[in-house]
Amino acid sequence: MAPTSMGSMSQPAIEVENLSKRYGEVVAVDDVSLAVAPGEVLGVLGANGAGKTTMIELIAGLRVPDRGRVRVLGRDPRRDRAAVRQLLGVQLQEAELHSALTVGELLGLYRSFYPDPRPAEELLDLVELRGQARTRFEKLSGGQQQRLSIALALAGRPRVVILDELTTGLDPRARRHIWAGVEGLRDETVLLVSHAMDEVQRLCDRVVLLDAGRIVALDTPAGLVAKAGVANLEEAFVRLTGKEIVTEENA
Amino acid sequence: MNEVTVRRPGAGSWLTLIGCEAKMVARDTAGLVVPIVLPLLILIMNAAAAGDQEVAGGRSALEVYVLPLVFTIVLATIGIVNMPSFLAYYRRSGLLRRLAVTPASPTMVLVAQMVVSLAQAVVGIGLAYAIAVVGFGARPPADVGMALAVAGLSVAAMYGLGMIVASVAPTPNSSVAIGLIAFFALGAVGGLFGGPDSLPEPVARVASWLPFGATVEGLSNAWSGASVDASNLAGLAISAVVGATVAAFLFRWD
Repeated sequence: MAPTSMGSMSQPAIEVENLSKRYGEVVAVDDVSLAVAPGEVLGVLGANGAGKTTMIELIAGLRVPDRGRVRVLGRDPRRDRAAVRQLLGVQLQEAELHSALTVGELLGLYRSFYPDPRPAEELLDLVELRGQARTRFEKLSGGQQQRLSIALALAGRPRVVILDELTTGLDPRARRHIWAGVEGLRDETVLLVSHAMDEVQRLCDRVVLLDAGRIVALDTPAGLVAKAGVANLEEAFVRLTGKEIVTEENA
Repeated sequence: MNEVTVRRPGAGSWLTLIGCEAKMVARDTAGLVVPIVLPLLILIMNAAAAGDQEVAGGRSALEVYVLPLVFTIVLATIGIVNMPSFLAYYRRSGLLRRLAVTPASPTMVLVAQMVVSLAQAVVGIGLAYAIAVVGFGARPPADVGMALAVAGLSVAAMYGLGMIVASVAPTPNSSVAIGLIAFFALGAVGGLFGGPDSLPEPVARVASWLPFGATVEGLSNAWSGASVDASNLAGLAISAVVGATVAAFLFRWD
Protein backbone atom coordinates (compact mmCIF):
# COMPACT_ATOMS: atom_id res chain seq x y z
CA MET A 1 0.00 0.00 0.00
CA ALA A 2 1.02 3.59 -0.46
CA PRO A 3 3.01 5.39 2.20
CA THR A 4 0.88 7.23 4.70
CA SER A 5 3.35 9.69 6.13
CA MET A 6 1.60 12.98 6.63
CA GLY A 7 4.91 14.77 6.64
CA SER A 8 5.30 14.43 2.90
CA MET A 9 5.37 17.56 0.79
CA SER A 10 2.53 16.57 -1.47
CA GLN A 11 -0.86 18.15 -1.09
CA PRO A 12 -3.45 15.99 0.70
CA ALA A 13 -5.99 14.28 -1.54
CA ILE A 14 -8.73 15.11 0.93
CA GLU A 15 -8.48 17.95 3.40
CA VAL A 16 -11.10 18.71 6.00
CA GLU A 17 -10.72 21.66 8.36
CA ASN A 18 -12.93 22.42 11.35
CA LEU A 19 -15.93 20.94 9.59
CA SER A 20 -19.29 21.19 11.33
CA LYS A 21 -22.82 20.34 10.30
CA ARG A 22 -25.97 20.21 12.36
CA TYR A 23 -29.56 19.26 11.56
CA GLY A 24 -31.72 21.28 13.89
CA GLU A 25 -30.65 20.31 17.38
CA VAL A 26 -28.58 17.32 16.25
CA VAL A 27 -24.90 17.93 15.69
CA ALA A 28 -23.93 15.45 12.97
CA VAL A 29 -20.34 16.56 12.39
CA ASP A 30 -18.59 18.55 15.09
CA ASP A 31 -15.39 20.43 14.30
CA VAL A 32 -13.70 17.64 12.36
CA SER A 33 -10.27 18.15 10.82
CA LEU A 34 -8.29 15.54 8.93
CA ALA A 35 -6.07 15.09 5.90
CA VAL A 36 -5.86 12.05 3.67
CA ALA A 37 -2.62 11.56 1.74
CA PRO A 38 -2.64 10.67 -1.96
CA GLY A 39 -2.86 6.90 -2.33
CA GLU A 40 -3.91 6.37 1.26
CA VAL A 41 -6.82 4.18 2.25
CA LEU A 42 -8.53 5.79 5.23
CA GLY A 43 -11.16 3.84 7.13
CA VAL A 44 -14.05 5.72 8.72
CA LEU A 45 -15.41 3.88 11.74
CA GLY A 46 -18.18 4.83 14.10
CA ALA A 47 -21.43 3.61 15.57
CA ASN A 48 -24.66 4.38 13.74
CA GLY A 49 -25.35 8.09 14.02
CA ALA A 50 -21.70 8.95 14.64
CA GLY A 51 -21.69 11.26 11.62
CA LYS A 52 -20.00 9.06 9.03
CA THR A 53 -22.53 9.53 6.26
CA THR A 54 -22.86 13.26 6.82
CA MET A 55 -19.09 13.65 6.69
CA ILE A 56 -19.00 11.79 3.40
CA GLU A 57 -21.84 13.85 1.97
CA LEU A 58 -19.98 17.02 2.93
CA ILE A 59 -16.81 15.78 1.24
CA ALA A 60 -18.76 14.78 -1.87
CA GLY A 61 -20.36 18.23 -1.99
CA LEU A 62 -23.89 16.92 -1.50
CA ARG A 63 -24.36 19.08 1.57
CA VAL A 64 -23.27 22.56 2.59
CA PRO A 65 -21.20 22.70 5.78
CA ASP A 66 -22.29 25.05 8.54
CA ARG A 67 -18.66 25.81 9.28
CA GLY A 68 -15.25 24.72 8.11
CA ARG A 69 -13.96 23.77 4.72
CA VAL A 70 -13.46 20.75 2.51
CA ARG A 71 -10.91 20.31 -0.26
CA VAL A 72 -10.74 17.36 -2.64
CA LEU A 73 -7.43 17.43 -4.54
CA GLY A 74 -7.21 21.08 -3.56
CA ARG A 75 -10.68 21.93 -4.83
CA ASP A 76 -13.87 23.04 -3.15
CA PRO A 77 -16.45 20.34 -3.98
CA ARG A 78 -19.25 22.87 -4.21
CA ARG A 79 -17.56 25.83 -5.90
CA ASP A 80 -15.41 23.70 -8.20
CA ARG A 81 -18.15 21.22 -8.75
CA ALA A 82 -17.39 20.05 -12.27
CA ALA A 83 -13.74 19.24 -11.57
CA VAL A 84 -14.46 17.41 -8.33
CA ARG A 85 -17.27 15.37 -9.93
CA GLN A 86 -14.82 14.18 -12.53
CA LEU A 87 -12.08 13.26 -10.05
CA LEU A 88 -14.25 11.69 -7.39
CA GLY A 89 -15.98 8.30 -7.52
CA VAL A 90 -18.68 7.72 -4.95
CA GLN A 91 -20.53 4.62 -3.89
CA LEU A 92 -23.51 5.79 -1.86
CA GLN A 93 -25.32 3.63 0.59
CA GLU A 94 -28.94 3.01 -0.45
CA ALA A 95 -28.82 4.80 -3.76
CA GLU A 96 -30.82 2.97 -6.37
CA LEU A 97 -30.24 2.94 -10.06
CA HIS A 98 -32.59 2.85 -13.07
CA SER A 99 -34.48 -0.31 -12.10
CA ALA A 100 -35.40 -1.49 -15.60
CA LEU A 101 -31.93 -1.05 -17.11
CA THR A 102 -29.49 -3.95 -17.37
CA VAL A 103 -26.06 -4.07 -15.76
CA GLY A 104 -24.47 -3.49 -19.18
CA GLU A 105 -26.72 -0.52 -19.94
CA LEU A 106 -26.03 1.09 -16.57
CA LEU A 107 -22.30 0.67 -17.01
CA GLY A 108 -22.59 2.21 -20.46
CA LEU A 109 -24.55 5.13 -19.04
CA TYR A 110 -22.19 5.92 -16.17
CA ARG A 111 -19.11 5.39 -18.32
CA SER A 112 -20.50 7.95 -20.79
CA PHE A 113 -20.33 10.67 -18.12
CA TYR A 114 -16.51 10.55 -17.94
CA PRO A 115 -13.82 11.56 -20.42
CA ASP A 116 -11.65 8.45 -19.96
CA PRO A 117 -13.74 5.64 -18.48
CA ARG A 118 -12.51 2.18 -17.52
CA PRO A 119 -13.49 -0.51 -20.04
CA ALA A 120 -16.82 -2.16 -19.19
CA GLU A 121 -15.24 -5.64 -19.22
CA GLU A 122 -12.65 -4.61 -16.66
CA LEU A 123 -15.37 -3.28 -14.36
CA LEU A 124 -17.54 -6.37 -14.81
CA ASP A 125 -14.60 -8.62 -13.92
CA LEU A 126 -13.65 -6.54 -10.91
CA VAL A 127 -17.06 -7.06 -9.31
CA GLU A 128 -17.70 -10.48 -10.90
CA LEU A 129 -20.82 -9.49 -12.78
CA ARG A 130 -19.83 -10.60 -16.28
CA GLY A 131 -22.57 -13.23 -16.23
CA GLN A 132 -25.18 -10.62 -15.26
CA ALA A 133 -24.43 -8.04 -17.96
CA ARG A 134 -27.87 -8.56 -19.50
CA THR A 135 -29.75 -8.74 -16.20
CA ARG A 136 -31.92 -5.82 -15.17
CA PHE A 137 -30.94 -3.98 -11.99
CA GLU A 138 -34.27 -4.87 -10.31
CA LYS A 139 -33.57 -8.59 -10.91
CA LEU A 140 -30.15 -8.55 -9.22
CA SER A 141 -29.68 -9.80 -5.67
CA GLY A 142 -28.82 -7.25 -3.01
CA GLY A 143 -25.19 -8.28 -3.13
CA GLN A 144 -25.05 -7.99 -6.90
CA GLN A 145 -26.63 -4.52 -6.76
CA GLN A 146 -24.00 -3.55 -4.22
CA ARG A 147 -21.21 -4.84 -6.46
CA LEU A 148 -22.58 -2.95 -9.45
CA SER A 149 -22.67 0.19 -7.36
CA ILE A 150 -18.96 -0.28 -6.61
CA ALA A 151 -18.19 -0.78 -10.29
CA LEU A 152 -20.02 2.45 -11.17
CA ALA A 153 -18.04 4.34 -8.52
CA LEU A 154 -14.86 3.28 -10.28
CA ALA A 155 -16.14 3.77 -13.84
CA GLY A 156 -14.58 7.17 -14.39
CA ARG A 157 -11.05 6.28 -13.18
CA PRO A 158 -11.50 8.50 -10.12
CA ARG A 159 -8.44 9.71 -8.22
CA VAL A 160 -10.39 9.78 -4.99
CA VAL A 161 -12.93 7.07 -4.19
CA ILE A 162 -15.54 7.14 -1.44
CA LEU A 163 -16.98 3.75 -0.56
CA ASP A 164 -19.87 3.76 1.93
CA GLU A 165 -20.47 0.32 3.47
CA LEU A 166 -18.34 -1.42 0.88
CA THR A 167 -19.19 -5.06 1.57
CA THR A 168 -22.23 -4.87 3.83
CA GLY A 169 -24.57 -7.67 2.83
CA LEU A 170 -22.07 -9.55 0.69
CA ASP A 171 -21.14 -13.18 1.25
CA PRO A 172 -17.60 -13.98 2.45
CA ARG A 173 -16.30 -14.99 -0.97
CA ALA A 174 -17.64 -11.83 -2.65
CA ARG A 175 -16.16 -9.72 0.15
CA ARG A 176 -12.72 -11.17 -0.44
CA HIS A 177 -12.99 -10.54 -4.14
CA ILE A 178 -14.04 -6.91 -3.60
CA TRP A 179 -11.22 -6.48 -1.09
CA ALA A 180 -8.71 -7.72 -3.62
CA GLY A 181 -10.17 -5.21 -6.07
CA VAL A 182 -9.74 -2.33 -3.60
CA GLU A 183 -6.19 -3.47 -2.83
CA GLY A 184 -5.57 -3.26 -6.55
CA LEU A 185 -6.33 0.49 -6.49
CA ARG A 186 -2.71 1.55 -6.15
CA ASP A 187 -2.90 5.22 -7.11
CA GLU A 188 -6.34 6.06 -5.84
CA THR A 189 -7.06 7.64 -2.50
CA VAL A 190 -9.87 5.78 -0.77
CA LEU A 191 -12.23 6.81 1.98
CA LEU A 192 -13.81 3.62 3.27
CA VAL A 193 -16.81 3.75 5.59
CA SER A 194 -17.26 0.44 7.31
CA HIS A 195 -18.71 -1.48 10.19
CA ALA A 196 -16.54 -4.50 9.47
CA MET A 197 -13.36 -4.64 11.54
CA ASP A 198 -11.79 -7.37 9.41
CA GLU A 199 -12.29 -5.19 6.36
CA VAL A 200 -10.75 -2.13 8.00
CA GLN A 201 -7.87 -4.19 9.35
CA ARG A 202 -7.10 -5.60 5.94
CA LEU A 203 -7.58 -2.56 3.69
CA CYS A 204 -6.93 0.61 5.63
CA ASP A 205 -3.64 2.40 6.17
CA ARG A 206 -5.21 4.52 8.86
CA VAL A 207 -8.55 4.65 10.63
CA VAL A 208 -10.53 7.60 11.87
CA LEU A 209 -12.88 6.76 14.70
CA LEU A 210 -15.95 9.00 15.01
CA ASP A 211 -18.28 9.35 17.93
CA ALA A 212 -21.12 11.88 18.15
CA GLY A 213 -19.67 13.78 15.22
CA ARG A 214 -16.20 14.17 16.72
CA ILE A 215 -12.92 12.41 16.02
CA VAL A 216 -12.10 10.10 18.92
CA ALA A 217 -8.96 8.62 17.42
CA LEU A 218 -7.00 8.76 14.18
CA ASP A 219 -4.27 6.16 13.80
CA THR A 220 -3.16 3.03 12.02
CA PRO A 221 -5.23 -0.05 12.88
CA ALA A 222 -2.28 -1.39 14.91
CA GLY A 223 -1.82 1.99 16.56
CA LEU A 224 -5.47 2.09 17.63
CA VAL A 225 -5.20 -1.35 19.17
CA ALA A 226 -2.02 -0.36 21.02
CA LYS A 227 -3.51 2.95 22.18
CA ALA A 228 -6.56 1.20 23.63
CA GLY A 229 -4.39 -1.47 25.20
CA VAL A 230 -6.57 -4.26 23.89
CA ALA A 231 -6.19 -7.36 21.74
CA ASN A 232 -7.88 -6.35 18.50
CA LEU A 233 -9.55 -3.57 16.55
CA GLU A 234 -13.03 -4.55 17.62
CA GLU A 235 -12.14 -4.19 21.27
CA ALA A 236 -10.34 -0.94 20.51
CA PHE A 237 -13.53 0.39 18.91
CA VAL A 238 -15.59 -0.50 21.99
CA ARG A 239 -13.00 0.84 24.38
CA LEU A 240 -12.50 4.15 22.55
CA THR A 241 -16.15 4.94 21.79
CA GLY A 242 -17.79 3.14 24.69
CA LYS A 243 -20.20 1.61 22.19
CA GLU A 244 -20.81 -1.88 20.95
CA ILE A 245 -20.40 -2.45 17.25
CA VAL A 246 -23.76 -2.31 15.52
CA THR A 247 -23.79 -3.81 12.09
CA GLU A 248 -26.42 -3.15 9.44
CA GLU A 249 -27.85 -6.65 9.98
CA ASN A 250 -28.58 -6.36 13.68
CA ALA A 251 -29.21 -2.63 13.80
CA MET B 1 -1.41 16.81 -9.83
CA ASN B 2 -3.57 19.90 -10.00
CA GLU B 3 -4.05 20.23 -13.71
CA VAL B 4 -7.29 18.65 -14.77
CA THR B 5 -9.13 19.23 -17.99
CA VAL B 6 -12.73 19.39 -16.98
CA ARG B 7 -14.94 17.89 -19.62
CA ARG B 8 -18.67 18.06 -19.23
CA PRO B 9 -20.71 15.12 -20.52
CA GLY B 10 -21.02 15.59 -24.28
CA ALA B 11 -23.44 14.62 -27.04
CA GLY B 12 -22.65 10.92 -26.64
CA SER B 13 -23.57 11.07 -22.99
CA TRP B 14 -26.80 12.89 -23.73
CA LEU B 15 -27.78 10.32 -26.35
CA THR B 16 -26.94 7.44 -24.00
CA LEU B 17 -29.04 8.96 -21.25
CA ILE B 18 -31.98 9.65 -23.57
CA GLY B 19 -31.73 6.05 -24.80
CA CYS B 20 -31.75 4.81 -21.21
CA GLU B 21 -34.77 6.91 -20.29
CA ALA B 22 -36.55 5.63 -23.42
CA LYS B 23 -35.89 2.04 -22.30
CA MET B 24 -37.20 2.85 -18.83
CA VAL B 25 -40.44 4.19 -20.34
CA ALA B 26 -40.79 1.42 -22.93
CA ARG B 27 -40.20 -1.33 -20.35
CA ASP B 28 -42.82 0.12 -18.00
CA THR B 29 -45.60 -1.75 -19.77
CA ALA B 30 -48.34 -0.73 -17.34
CA GLY B 31 -47.36 2.91 -17.77
CA LEU B 32 -47.96 2.72 -21.51
CA VAL B 33 -51.58 1.62 -21.22
CA VAL B 34 -53.04 4.95 -20.12
CA PRO B 35 -51.29 7.31 -22.57
CA ILE B 36 -51.24 5.01 -25.62
CA VAL B 37 -53.85 2.27 -25.37
CA LEU B 38 -56.66 4.15 -23.61
CA PRO B 39 -56.85 6.98 -26.18
CA LEU B 40 -56.80 4.42 -28.99
CA LEU B 41 -59.75 2.61 -27.43
CA ILE B 42 -61.69 5.87 -27.10
CA LEU B 43 -60.90 6.64 -30.72
CA ILE B 44 -61.97 3.27 -32.04
CA MET B 45 -65.16 3.18 -29.99
CA ASN B 46 -66.27 6.58 -31.27
CA ALA B 47 -64.75 6.78 -34.72
CA ALA B 48 -67.26 4.70 -36.71
CA ALA B 49 -70.27 6.82 -35.74
CA ALA B 50 -68.42 10.15 -35.61
CA GLY B 51 -66.73 9.60 -38.98
CA ASP B 52 -70.08 9.74 -40.77
CA GLN B 53 -71.58 12.55 -38.74
CA GLU B 54 -71.05 15.85 -40.50
CA VAL B 55 -70.70 19.03 -38.49
CA ALA B 56 -69.80 22.59 -39.51
CA GLY B 57 -67.79 23.30 -42.68
CA GLY B 58 -68.03 19.83 -44.21
CA ARG B 59 -65.98 18.38 -41.39
CA SER B 60 -66.86 15.18 -39.56
CA ALA B 61 -67.40 14.91 -35.82
CA LEU B 62 -64.41 12.57 -35.79
CA GLU B 63 -62.13 15.36 -36.99
CA VAL B 64 -63.58 18.21 -34.99
CA TYR B 65 -64.46 16.49 -31.70
CA VAL B 66 -63.00 13.01 -31.33
CA LEU B 67 -59.45 13.50 -32.63
CA PRO B 68 -58.77 16.70 -30.63
CA LEU B 69 -60.01 14.96 -27.48
CA VAL B 70 -57.95 11.81 -28.12
CA PHE B 71 -54.79 13.81 -28.82
CA THR B 72 -55.34 15.88 -25.69
CA ILE B 73 -55.70 12.73 -23.57
CA VAL B 74 -52.35 11.48 -24.93
CA LEU B 75 -50.58 14.76 -24.16
CA ALA B 76 -52.19 15.18 -20.72
CA THR B 77 -51.61 11.66 -19.42
CA ILE B 78 -47.96 11.66 -20.49
CA GLY B 79 -47.25 15.15 -19.15
CA ILE B 80 -49.32 15.15 -15.97
CA VAL B 81 -49.25 11.48 -14.91
CA ASN B 82 -46.39 9.53 -16.47
CA MET B 83 -43.42 11.89 -16.53
CA PRO B 84 -43.87 13.10 -12.93
CA SER B 85 -44.16 9.52 -11.68
CA PHE B 86 -40.71 8.75 -13.12
CA LEU B 87 -39.22 11.89 -11.61
CA ALA B 88 -40.79 11.14 -8.23
CA TYR B 89 -39.42 7.61 -8.35
CA TYR B 90 -35.95 8.83 -9.32
CA ARG B 91 -35.90 11.25 -6.43
CA ARG B 92 -37.35 8.83 -3.90
CA SER B 93 -34.94 6.03 -4.80
CA GLY B 94 -31.84 8.20 -4.45
CA LEU B 95 -31.11 7.97 -8.16
CA LEU B 96 -30.96 11.74 -8.61
CA ARG B 97 -28.64 11.94 -5.61
CA ARG B 98 -26.41 9.26 -7.13
CA LEU B 99 -26.23 11.23 -10.39
CA ALA B 100 -25.41 14.39 -8.46
CA VAL B 101 -22.00 12.92 -7.61
CA THR B 102 -21.15 12.24 -11.25
CA PRO B 103 -20.31 14.82 -13.91
CA ALA B 104 -23.89 14.40 -15.15
CA SER B 105 -26.29 16.71 -13.40
CA PRO B 106 -29.76 15.55 -12.37
CA THR B 107 -31.02 18.23 -14.76
CA MET B 108 -29.87 15.98 -17.60
CA VAL B 109 -32.34 13.33 -16.43
CA LEU B 110 -35.10 15.90 -16.37
CA VAL B 111 -34.38 17.00 -19.92
CA ALA B 112 -33.99 13.40 -21.13
CA GLN B 113 -37.36 12.52 -19.60
CA MET B 114 -38.95 15.47 -21.42
CA VAL B 115 -37.42 14.39 -24.72
CA VAL B 116 -38.63 10.81 -24.24
CA SER B 117 -42.09 12.00 -23.15
CA LEU B 118 -42.30 14.09 -26.30
CA ALA B 119 -41.34 11.08 -28.41
CA GLN B 120 -43.95 9.04 -26.60
CA ALA B 121 -46.58 11.70 -27.34
CA VAL B 122 -45.59 11.71 -31.02
CA VAL B 123 -45.97 7.91 -31.13
CA GLY B 124 -49.34 8.00 -29.33
CA ILE B 125 -50.73 10.78 -31.50
CA GLY B 126 -49.21 9.29 -34.64
CA LEU B 127 -50.83 5.90 -34.00
CA ALA B 128 -54.23 7.43 -33.27
CA TYR B 129 -54.04 9.70 -36.31
CA ALA B 130 -52.96 6.85 -38.61
CA ILE B 131 -55.88 4.70 -37.46
CA ALA B 132 -58.30 7.62 -37.89
CA VAL B 133 -57.04 8.35 -41.39
CA VAL B 134 -56.69 4.80 -42.67
CA GLY B 135 -59.62 3.22 -40.87
CA PHE B 136 -62.16 6.01 -40.67
CA GLY B 137 -61.32 8.50 -43.43
CA ALA B 138 -60.19 11.41 -41.25
CA ARG B 139 -58.54 14.31 -43.10
CA PRO B 140 -55.69 16.60 -41.98
CA PRO B 141 -56.48 19.81 -40.09
CA ALA B 142 -57.58 22.79 -42.16
CA ASP B 143 -54.83 24.82 -40.53
CA VAL B 144 -51.87 22.47 -40.04
CA GLY B 145 -49.57 25.17 -38.72
CA MET B 146 -52.08 26.20 -36.08
CA ALA B 147 -52.69 22.58 -35.05
CA LEU B 148 -48.93 22.10 -34.55
CA ALA B 149 -48.68 25.38 -32.63
CA VAL B 150 -51.53 24.36 -30.31
CA ALA B 151 -49.97 20.92 -29.80
CA GLY B 152 -46.55 22.44 -29.07
CA LEU B 153 -47.98 24.92 -26.56
CA SER B 154 -50.01 22.12 -25.04
CA VAL B 155 -46.88 20.00 -24.50
CA ALA B 156 -45.27 22.92 -22.66
CA ALA B 157 -48.40 23.45 -20.55
CA MET B 158 -48.76 19.76 -19.66
CA TYR B 159 -45.04 19.56 -18.74
CA GLY B 160 -45.54 22.63 -16.57
CA LEU B 161 -48.38 20.95 -14.70
CA GLY B 162 -46.39 17.72 -14.54
CA MET B 163 -43.47 19.52 -12.93
CA ILE B 164 -45.81 20.91 -10.28
CA VAL B 165 -47.04 17.35 -9.61
CA ALA B 166 -43.44 16.10 -9.41
CA SER B 167 -42.59 18.96 -7.06
CA VAL B 168 -45.38 18.42 -4.55
CA ALA B 169 -45.59 14.60 -4.60
CA PRO B 170 -43.47 12.98 -1.87
CA THR B 171 -43.57 9.45 -3.33
CA PRO B 172 -44.04 7.80 -6.75
CA ASN B 173 -47.47 6.48 -5.73
CA SER B 174 -48.70 9.84 -4.54
CA SER B 175 -47.39 11.32 -7.78
CA VAL B 176 -49.60 8.98 -9.82
CA ALA B 177 -52.55 9.74 -7.54
CA ILE B 178 -52.11 13.51 -7.73
CA GLY B 179 -51.46 13.31 -11.46
CA LEU B 180 -54.61 11.28 -12.12
CA ILE B 181 -56.75 13.59 -9.97
CA ALA B 182 -55.41 16.60 -11.85
CA PHE B 183 -55.98 14.83 -15.16
CA PHE B 184 -59.60 13.93 -14.38
CA ALA B 185 -60.38 17.32 -12.86
CA LEU B 186 -59.04 19.18 -15.88
CA GLY B 187 -60.59 16.63 -18.20
CA ALA B 188 -64.03 16.89 -16.57
CA VAL B 189 -64.23 20.62 -17.23
CA GLY B 190 -62.38 20.32 -20.53
CA GLY B 191 -64.65 17.97 -22.46
CA LEU B 192 -63.45 14.53 -21.41
CA PHE B 193 -66.95 13.41 -20.38
CA GLY B 194 -68.97 15.53 -22.78
CA GLY B 195 -68.71 18.80 -24.65
CA PRO B 196 -68.56 22.23 -23.00
CA ASP B 197 -72.29 22.65 -23.76
CA SER B 198 -73.07 20.28 -20.92
CA LEU B 199 -71.23 22.47 -18.40
CA PRO B 200 -72.44 25.59 -16.58
CA GLU B 201 -71.43 28.64 -18.58
CA PRO B 202 -68.83 30.07 -16.08
CA VAL B 203 -67.13 26.68 -15.75
CA ALA B 204 -66.94 26.31 -19.51
CA ARG B 205 -65.39 29.76 -19.81
CA VAL B 206 -62.71 28.98 -17.22
CA ALA B 207 -62.10 25.59 -18.82
CA SER B 208 -61.13 27.15 -22.13
CA TRP B 209 -58.19 28.74 -20.30
CA LEU B 210 -57.13 25.53 -18.58
CA PRO B 211 -54.69 23.21 -20.39
CA PHE B 212 -57.08 20.35 -21.18
CA GLY B 213 -60.00 22.43 -22.43
CA ALA B 214 -57.70 24.87 -24.22
CA THR B 215 -55.99 22.07 -26.13
CA VAL B 216 -59.25 20.41 -27.14
CA GLU B 217 -60.78 23.72 -28.31
CA GLY B 218 -57.61 24.86 -30.04
CA LEU B 219 -57.16 21.61 -31.95
CA SER B 220 -60.85 21.49 -32.78
CA ASN B 221 -60.76 24.96 -34.34
CA ALA B 222 -57.50 24.23 -36.15
CA TRP B 223 -59.18 21.18 -37.67
CA SER B 224 -62.35 22.94 -38.77
CA GLY B 225 -60.48 25.98 -40.02
CA ALA B 226 -62.11 28.39 -37.56
CA SER B 227 -59.78 30.87 -35.93
CA VAL B 228 -58.28 29.66 -32.68
CA ASP B 229 -59.43 31.63 -29.67
CA ALA B 230 -56.69 33.74 -28.08
CA SER B 231 -57.80 32.56 -24.64
CA ASN B 232 -56.80 29.00 -25.58
CA LEU B 233 -53.28 29.97 -26.61
CA ALA B 234 -52.80 32.38 -23.72
CA GLY B 235 -54.11 29.79 -21.25
CA LEU B 236 -51.62 27.20 -22.45
CA ALA B 237 -48.72 29.65 -22.31
CA ILE B 238 -49.68 30.77 -18.81
CA SER B 239 -49.85 27.15 -17.57
CA ALA B 240 -46.39 26.48 -18.96
CA VAL B 241 -44.89 29.56 -17.32
CA VAL B 242 -46.64 29.05 -13.98
CA GLY B 243 -45.61 25.39 -13.92
CA ALA B 244 -41.98 26.15 -14.68
CA THR B 245 -41.90 28.89 -12.05
CA VAL B 246 -43.52 26.80 -9.33
CA ALA B 247 -41.20 23.87 -10.10
CA ALA B 248 -38.15 26.10 -10.04
CA PHE B 249 -39.00 26.97 -6.43
CA LEU B 250 -40.47 23.72 -5.17
CA PHE B 251 -38.79 20.87 -7.06
CA ARG B 252 -36.33 19.02 -4.84
CA TRP B 253 -33.58 16.76 -6.10
CA ASP B 254 -33.37 14.60 -2.98
